[in-house]
Amino acid sequence: MADTNAPKPSSSVKLVLLGEAAVGKSSLVLRFVNNDFQENKEPTIGAAFLTQKCNLPTRTIKFEIWDTAGQERFASLAPMYYRNAQAALVVYDLTKPTSLIKAKHWVAELQRQASPGIVIALVGNKLDLTSDSAGSAEVSGGGDDNAEDSGDARKISTDEAKAYAEEEGLLFFETSAKTGHNVTEVFTAIANAIPETSLKSARGPGASHAGVSRTEEQRVNLNGPRDLEAKEGCAC
Amino acid sequence: MLNLSSFVQKAQQLLDPTQGLNLTDSDKNPSKASLFQSQFRLPDSQHPLYEITAELTIPPSNVTQGGKDQDRGFHYAGKLHLSEAYLCFSTTPSSFLQSASTSTSSAFTGQTHGGGPSGNGFTFPLSSIRRVERLHSQNFQFALAITTWNGISQDALKDNKDKKEVREQRITIQLAGTRVACERFCDGLKKGLRAAVGNVGKLKKVIGECYSEYLLRPEEQKSANPPDAGLGMIFRYPGDPKKLRDRAKMRLWAEYLRDNGRNVTLIRQPTFHKLIRVGLPNRLRGEIWELTSGSVYLRLENPTLYADTLAKHSGKESLAIDEIEKDLNRSLPEYPGFQSEEGIGRLRRVLTAYSWVNADVGYCQAMNIVVAALLIYMSEAQAFFLLSTLCDRLVPGYYSTTMYGTLLDQKVFESLVERTMPILWEHLVKCDVQLSVVSLPWFLSLYINSMPLVFAFRVLDVFFVEGPKVLFQVGLAILRINGEELLDASDDGAFISVLKNYFARLDESAHPKSENPKLRAVTRFQELMVVAFKEFSGITHSTITELRLKNKDAVLNNIESFAKRTAIRNLGPESKLLSTDELGAVYDRFYGVLYERQQRDLIIKQEEARRAKSNRISRIGQMVDEGNVEKGRVGLGPSTSLMDYDAFREFLAGIAKWAVSDSPTQSRRDTGSSNGGGFYNSFRKNESSMSPWGNGPEPADHEFLQRLFRKWDFDSSSALTLQNVVTGLARIKGKRDIMGTINYFFELHDDDGDGKVDREGILRMSEALLFLSRRGLEGTLDRATAPNGMMTEGMVTPGNEVPDQSVNERFLGSVSAFIRRCFEYADPDHPNNQNSQQPAQQQTTSHPDAFAIGDDDDDFDEENDDDLLAMDSPTASPRPAKRSEDTATSSLQPPSSLHLDPSTAPSSISNNDEDRRRRVSRQQSEKANIALDPNNPLHITLPTFRMVVLADELLEQFFESSFPCSFHLVEGISMSSGNSSNAGSSSYGVGGLGSTFSHMGFFGGGAGGANSQQGGAGAGRGLRGVLDNIVTDGMRVAAEVRRRMEEAQRELEKNALPGQHKPGGANRGGGDDEDDDEDDGGPVEGLSLGGNGNGSGGAGGSAAGMRSGGVRSSDRDLLTGADAEASDPTAEAQLQQGSGGSLGGGGEANVGGTAKVVGVEFDG
Repeated sequence: MADTNAPKPSSSVKLVLLGEAAVGKSSLVLRFVNNDFQENKEPTIGAAFLTQKCNLPTRTIKFEIWDTAGQERFASLAPMYYRNAQAALVVYDLTKPTSLIKAKHWVAELQRQASPGIVIALVGNKLDLTSDSAGSAEVSGGGDDNAEDSGDARKISTDEAKAYAEEEGLLFFETSAKTGHNVTEVFTAIANAIPETSLKSARGPGASHAGVSRTEEQRVNLNGPRDLEAKEGCAC
Repeated sequence: MLNLSSFVQKAQQLLDPTQGLNLTDSDKNPSKASLFQSQFRLPDSQHPLYEITAELTIPPSNVTQGGKDQDRGFHYAGKLHLSEAYLCFSTTPSSFLQSASTSTSSAFTGQTHGGGPSGNGFTFPLSSIRRVERLHSQNFQFALAITTWNGISQDALKDNKDKKEVREQRITIQLAGTRVACERFCDGLKKGLRAAVGNVGKLKKVIGECYSEYLLRPEEQKSANPPDAGLGMIFRYPGDPKKLRDRAKMRLWAEYLRDNGRNVTLIRQPTFHKLIRVGLPNRLRGEIWELTSGSVYLRLENPTLYADTLAKHSGKESLAIDEIEKDLNRSLPEYPGFQSEEGIGRLRRVLTAYSWVNADVGYCQAMNIVVAALLIYMSEAQAFFLLSTLCDRLVPGYYSTTMYGTLLDQKVFESLVERTMPILWEHLVKCDVQLSVVSLPWFLSLYINSMPLVFAFRVLDVFFVEGPKVLFQVGLAILRINGEELLDASDDGAFISVLKNYFARLDESAHPKSENPKLRAVTRFQELMVVAFKEFSGITHSTITELRLKNKDAVLNNIESFAKRTAIRNLGPESKLLSTDELGAVYDRFYGVLYERQQRDLIIKQEEARRAKSNRISRIGQMVDEGNVEKGRVGLGPSTSLMDYDAFREFLAGIAKWAVSDSPTQSRRDTGSSNGGGFYNSFRKNESSMSPWGNGPEPADHEFLQRLFRKWDFDSSSALTLQNVVTGLARIKGKRDIMGTINYFFELHDDDGDGKVDREGILRMSEALLFLSRRGLEGTLDRATAPNGMMTEGMVTPGNEVPDQSVNERFLGSVSAFIRRCFEYADPDHPNNQNSQQPAQQQTTSHPDAFAIGDDDDDFDEENDDDLLAMDSPTASPRPAKRSEDTATSSLQPPSSLHLDPSTAPSSISNNDEDRRRRVSRQQSEKANIALDPNNPLHITLPTFRMVVLADELLEQFFESSFPCSFHLVEGISMSSGNSSNAGSSSYGVGGLGSTFSHMGFFGGGAGGANSQQGGAGAGRGLRGVLDNIVTDGMRVAAEVRRRMEEAQRELEKNALPGQHKPGGANRGGGDDEDDDEDDGGPVEGLSLGGNGNGSGGAGGSAAGMRSGGVRSSDRDLLTGADAEASDPTAEAQLQQGSGGSLGGGGEANVGGTAKVVGVEFDG
């Protein structure tokens, strides 16, 4: 909170990244947090935790980012990480059809098991591997206007993924963590999409239902208010 | 998953409880062998054969040849153990008794202060022992002097034997025990040593790769190429060697190894453990890891396994390999070795080889990091075996497909935190910080990517000696040391950053402001080690074991419910036709059946193994598969997810009444594809071993089931996935649309998918209808016809018999009509088809005594039924009154009759011989019956089929409701879900026989069908009995039809083949053996009838039993009619005709009919 303008309200948002292994989840986060890119990023074991602020006109959002491991067998650990998450980035590799299927599974999982009202963004990464990324300088183009391409590594058309995202009510972006294309936009869009109400009760009683065992739920209920105070007290 | 645990229990009930196969039991009371293996880190092949109290005397250092005073040197009292290939000594008391409680039996890893898991002592491969002498000591009865190959197994040194440096390693062991015990031990040792001679070559190869051999070689003999001690030799070892005082450590180790033996001949003394605590020197690190973890013994067992595995699978691809490739470039990328092809290549090979030898684990992220770390210090082969030891022993389940071990240890860690640091724990709970989010990577990557490498390796040094508890101790110490800061952190983020910060400063002084320079010199890492092993010395192996045991079920259940949720959600659109409850139930049943089958397989295998070995070392057999006890449980990861045909039958038997066999047999071989020959009487077998079907009812085998299986098996893989099963069920049950069901049923019988079902198909359809309805109809039936639905057996009371009876009776009629109409409306494929009507008329007229059945009787088309008789040998047929025992065995007949048409039947199931006979019979009948003439094919199309079905109210209802309703997905059927045990199900079958028998009596005497009701009522007072009666009566009617048809057919055949036809004998076709068996079994069955027949008189059992029994009984008829002439090819035809009659109804009233047939045949 140190560097935010005094009048702007600040709140933290728990965001979780899910998706098949090696689609670029960690790279997206690294790009967003450090504006950096590493060719050979160590696979995430369990999950990595990072934070980054996102300044909106009216408020500041501090993202608490949980970057999860992508390998299939780590899936059973995911509930631990998406518990109480207010936002999720479900990432696929747009050069790899299976990764979209996996992404759909994650979306379904989140819709049923995560906190109600979770904001989900579907992100097709590795746009730099497609031919339409040639002019990666265009920053605001979004993925929307990309037509079906031929002769590049793209295997999932924008239309297909977009149609799915619309059907499920997801935010949709195509990004390149390598070039940085659209990365910040994703997070900004998520920040904007988080309802004000959910921010107020951030991680309080209201936001923690699904995926929490009964005892945990009780625990949250018992301590909810205090928890909230603590939260506001130290948004360090 | 509740279901699974109940399955476990069920499986356990089948066992001798003392076997300890029970999962909690085997964990709580680890077998003697597994304790022994754990203590000495020996491979699974080793078992404790002899053990004896002994005292070890190690001569003081620099003592060369013997002859010195025995009292000098070091003495250790402990126990000496002998296994197949190892001689082990340990000062740490341990008990391998099966009954030992956890705390005593696993205390071996309890020591943290120098003792190590195996205490002081040694673990010598017998092949490393050069000589054992018995000393003639006065003080002790038995004293052995053991000389090892230590240091002199190198060829290079052979020439230098005279030199002084060559020192023999010679230790003395005094055995303390009775003379007999000592002698027995020595005999065992002698035997073992003799056997070990052959392994000396292996030993040489293995130790040749140990760096210590090179290290201790005199300078002048050091060859240019030292053994591979990891990538560090090329790319430098992590850390500053000066700071690590690597040279000093090396000197200390060299001295220790010189005095106490190197690699496999090393003797553990307190210094050994101290040296490990201060950190291993780089070049010896790999070797000591290998030694303390015991992976060197795995390597010794099969030194070439690594190379062989790579060679064997060279060029192959797998999912694991794809996953490995993704991570190769991102495993310890900061270490220069892994920026090179050399390092990446090694990593690739080790991970790939392991994924081949342990395909269940395959590759898990984090393994890349661990193996990369190992490869810095050891060769590829060493890393490969150490990885095996890790996955199997040290951190079991960490890298499995469900990672249950990881999750479990997180729970254990949490409870330890709660126990040891209650304030911190409370804080975590209050702030809703999830500890495992932080700690999981610690455990999963063994701290390698949490701490700076140099420190992580120090943790590993201790970890390999003392086991998994080290991970917990270090984790707790981290939290304890950072306790205050952590109490200030109030969310995950802050929590993580405190720890991150801490790890980054491990090399700093722990007490920078201290006045005491010594204290200032203590690094944070040293502090961590002290806290971990001093303050948390109370955390022992048994603590961990206990907590693991406590949390295991909860963790597995969590994983399983997650897996279930995910699996169900990902089943695809068609699954939406079923409700969530139904899907859940299908999932549970699907995996339940697979799990139970695996368990039973295992048990049966173990049983066999034990029997086979019962005379010899009886324990071995039962130990072999111990690790797999829980295999198949979803939460534990890899288990089969494919359902074969037998499992499919079992699955169906749990949800549909009609899929339950009528007369259980015992041997799996028989139920699968047997043609009925060589089976045993079911009752006899029942008593012997456990049923291959466990506690559940034995599933039926019927052509319909096979069709269903094939239909559901979209990709023809001969196995069903959950997806297949759900899709299959959804298509039948989900739509609730009569047209859909009718179409489905039609498609099921349309083999070539051309929209036509031919003559045989029609018969099979009617067969299937009868098969499905033989336990009564379920679902919503017309009020008039079924006032009290038969859906729940509980609702049926004797008062309802009459109306219910009529439903079944009517249904049989409906099926008869169905056949007739099908043929009536069949579209002839050939104009000549019309001609085929003629013989039918002849037959009709030639048998004026044909009974009338139902309302459809009059226009019954006999000719078509003859087809049916000839071509199909369904499960019912006439039976004589006196042959009630047939029912017991008759259930074996259906399988044999399933594959009439070799072209449609999977040859894998069908029996060649059977096929041949069928073909013969087919030819025979074709000759006999113009209608069978292939030149006169006919078929019905889907619209015709639909019309025919809809023309009959009852059939319509069957497709609309009964058939879909007969799958009880959620609630199951009482027979399986109930706690009826093996005995229950068998008595049920037998009871069925009882009532059958009584009916038979009536009909045999020529009494009218009306009697059946009384007979039935008398035989079965229970609900089953009631049901019985109902079906029985229906069957009686149907039997009339059949009888008539049979007669017609026989008449026809007689006319057609006058010369060949030998009555009765015909039927002996292939059944001689069976008959004999039946004869044996008969009386037994009869007796049991008396006992059981009354109360629960077997449900549909009798009905179906009769039906299926029919085949055999007709067989019998013929036998009684005339002497068998087994070779007569017409026999088979006859048999089939007889059995074919079942289509008419599969009842028992045919008794009269068959009697008549017999008569006819006599005449002929």
